[in-house]
Amino acid sequence: MLKTKNDLLQGTLALLVLKTLARGPMHGYGMTLHIQLISKDILRVEEGSLYPALHRMEQDGWVSAEWGISENNRRARYYRLSAKGRKQLAAEEKNWERFTEGVAHVLQFV
Amino acid sequence: MSWIARLRGMLKRDRLDHDLDDELRSHIEMRVADNVAAGMSPEEANYEAQRRFGNTALLKEDTREADVVAWLDETARDFHYALRMLRRSPGFTAVSVLTLALGIGANTAIFSVINSVLLRPLPYHDPDNLVMVWESNSQHVNAHNTVSPPNFLDWQSRNTVFSGMSFIFDEHANLTGNGDPEEVVVQDVSTSFFSLLGVNLLLGPGFTPENGQSGHDNVVILSYGLWKQRFAGDPAIIGKFILLNGHPQTVVGVAPQNFDWFIKDGSLTGAKPQMWSPFVFPQAFHHHKEIGRFMTVAARLKPGVTHSQAQTEMSAIAARLEQEDPDFDGHWGVNVLSLRDQISGDLRPALLILFGAVAFVLLIACANVSSLLLARAASREREMAIRTAMGASRWRVARQLLMESLLLALIGGGIGVALAVWGTNTLLAASPRNLLDLLAVSIDLRVLVFAVAATLLAGLLFGFLPSYISAHSRISETLKEGGRGSSSARRRAFARNAFVVAQLGLALVLLTGSGLLIRSFVRLIGVDPGFDTGHLLTFKITLPRSKYGRDQSCITFFQQLLARISAVPGVRSASMESFPPLTGLGAATGVRLLSQPSLALSDLPVANVRVVGPDYFPTMSVPLRAGRLFNTHELAAENHVTIINRAFADKYLHGVNPLGQKAVIYMKSDAEAESQPSEIIGVVGDVHQLGLDTAPEPTVYWPHSELVMSGMTILVRTSNDPLAVLSTILNQLQQLDPELPMASVATMDQLLADSVSRSRFTMVLLGIFAVVALMLAAVGIYGLIAYSVTQRTQELGIRIALGAQRRDVLRLVLVQGTRLTLLGVAIGVVAALTLSRLLGTLLFGVSATDPLTFAGVASLLAVVALLACFIPARRATRVDPMVALRYE
Repeated sequence: MLKTKNDLLQGTLALLVLKTLARGPMHGYGMTLHIQLISKDILRVEEGSLYPALHRMEQDGWVSAEWGISENNRRARYYRLSAKGRKQLAAEEKNWERFTEGVAHVLQFV
Repeated sequence: MSWIARLRGMLKRDRLDHDLDDELRSHIEMRVADNVAAGMSPEEANYEAQRRFGNTALLKEDTREADVVAWLDETARDFHYALRMLRRSPGFTAVSVLTLALGIGANTAIFSVINSVLLRPLPYHDPDNLVMVWESNSQHVNAHNTVSPPNFLDWQSRNTVFSGMSFIFDEHANLTGNGDPEEVVVQDVSTSFFSLLGVNLLLGPGFTPENGQSGHDNVVILSYGLWKQRFAGDPAIIGKFILLNGHPQTVVGVAPQNFDWFIKDGSLTGAKPQMWSPFVFPQAFHHHKEIGRFMTVAARLKPGVTHSQAQTEMSAIAARLEQEDPDFDGHWGVNVLSLRDQISGDLRPALLILFGAVAFVLLIACANVSSLLLARAASREREMAIRTAMGASRWRVARQLLMESLLLALIGGGIGVALAVWGTNTLLAASPRNLLDLLAVSIDLRVLVFAVAATLLAGLLFGFLPSYISAHSRISETLKEGGRGSSSARRRAFARNAFVVAQLGLALVLLTGSGLLIRSFVRLIGVDPGFDTGHLLTFKITLPRSKYGRDQSCITFFQQLLARISAVPGVRSASMESFPPLTGLGAATGVRLLSQPSLALSDLPVANVRVVGPDYFPTMSVPLRAGRLFNTHELAAENHVTIINRAFADKYLHGVNPLGQKAVIYMKSDAEAESQPSEIIGVVGDVHQLGLDTAPEPTVYWPHSELVMSGMTILVRTSNDPLAVLSTILNQLQQLDPELPMASVATMDQLLADSVSRSRFTMVLLGIFAVVALMLAAVGIYGLIAYSVTQRTQELGIRIALGAQRRDVLRLVLVQGTRLTLLGVAIGVVAALTLSRLLGTLLFGVSATDPLTFAGVASLLAVVALLACFIPARRATRVDPMVALRYE
């Protein structure tokens, strides 16, 4: 059941999407390709969770979306990072660093 | 900002949906293109792309669900679907709705009474600070004893806890001029009475402190009812004169429409006031304690003073008074009672019992509806399984079903409230007139809130289990063909069985309560009142002192009246008494028996004092136990004789011959009483003065000549219907004195009925609830067995085909029903044994664990339940094996 999502993963997805969009506007499919590629196939975005997340981010004002034409002349919806989104990205990146730092400390402790 | 986006989202719903569709489609197309480019076949490419997306329908829903506002949209959709489902099975819906309407309606009706009597603030300003202040004697049972005027004055001057005090006592008076002579009830009060209660008069300035002075007290305030009825609502009534007992009084006020003040304890007339008048204490009241105790007292607590503080201080004042005058105030204390407790205290137990009963009825009704839902759920299992397979979460499935339940509850509740409004009005119209003395019952906001809460609670209650079970059904089992043995089916069967057992148990508890009350009531009316109540007419006459100032004129008048009445054809005999029996009205005082060692006044034995006319005891058929009755000589003039009743003889003159003893009865002034002890000339049987449920009190009887009272109750024994001779008697009265009204006309049988009216009322209501509960429980078990038979049609058909006899089939079917019935009865009996104790004061002459009642009620329930099982069982025996075997 999709409702029992892992909150951590949900938060991470937002971070990844925001970071991806920081490089420029992209459509949903492009984002899944990008993340899969750059993470060296470690992370695969579930389409089922991507679109609800994008919708939420749009509601919260972190991204804006509009229709455009894709590379192969297809109609696709492009998402663009907003100023608010940029601030959110910075905050999330900071949180992520602190989080990994904390986990590293615990793991290093023998 | 995001809220605006959401709202905008909701408005552009369709376009967004469309957009999302396009977006997803384009995403898939792009992936397909890539897949094909990577070498997959078009079908594989398609399949892989789709699979990665999973359930698009669910995805779209989840995307939409990110909207808070979408939730409302979904609820609306659930609602419409639920409505459609209910409309599709009208029989089920009708039965469920009616059952719920009954349960919720009954609860709302009873709650509205509870609200009016126990919860709603009384119609006075700041009513929680109002209290009644009584005297109470530690040696007697009566905690609400009327107050003596000098004590009242002492309380008033010595207390620091009350911001105001008022005395109230009532009397009859004759109103003449402006129409027929009419006897009215007048309350004599302090001039501060209305301001104490914080009541603004409808008309007029009201009483001023000046009215409390002699010569300035000839003013009255009319009740709204009297003003409308006798004075046609004359707006210029203020300043006009009326004649009260022949004395002119100026009208200085009219009370507002809903204003009333009636406290049953201490009332000398037992009726609601029609007029208020200030009362000036004669000089005697201030110093001599000869006037006895007859006032009621109301007071208002000062802001910040608590009830217990007031009680403490008043008890201290009473203690000091006791020291100062041990003769009069020995053993007397003070009882401060909140007005709320005074008015509704004795109704509380009955109301709470009824509320508990009606809550049980609602529970039984909910169990019925829940059972129906469970039965229905079985046929919808497939639908639910498909939903779950399509990706609906358990919560979603449950939510849909709960919505149906809530919808049922809302419809049932709506009808129920309408029923309650109609029912309450009908109930009160049909109920005894003295049921709710001071309070009007109506449906207000609190009652509506209660109804809504009860409805929602009921809906959740009966809807929970079916929706839970349905939501947790195992899909795989159900989707297989003929999945009847599934675990959820088993759970449903268990739930239904449990419901039936619970219903039977609850019904048994109610039946037991009802049975106990019925037996109590039968015992109550079986009590011998001590006199013959049939064919006895009663009415009151009050002679105005202005016309009948001298004692002799009173005596003569009554003599003549009784003589005339006795001569009327149809009348067997006639007499009179100061207060009629069974009404709780009366006066009591101390009696000093001269043959016994001297006691202080406050330690004296207490007896009721009744003043009677000639032929009283034969007219009433009260037996003479010893000695003789009053002779003509004694009835005509003061001769200082008295007749006592058996209770008096047993209690105070035990083992001694009472005849010839001298007794000082302190009903006149002390000096008079002590110089004229009465000789006991006879002993008569006991009469119940207060009511059938109270033991007769020691009583002394005086002939009218001994203590001439101007207000007497006339008692007429007739050969046939008492009311048939009424007009002739009225005629005779008017011939004697055309200005005298006849008041409080009633037959003794009516008075008897009035005295037991509350018990009867509670018994009838509880009986109705018990019968409803029994019927609902019977329907419940009938439904269960009928359903079970339907389920087992195939099995039974096979058995019959294989040679099972009719009685074998019966036995098979009845086994389940019998087991459930026995279990239900057993649980019910245990519950009833623990709960019947709560009936407490409502029981009379019957113990709370009366075995006869329990046995009778348990048998009744068992028989009814088994009968309810029998009907479908009989149907089972007629199953045609050929049809059954083909049935799926």
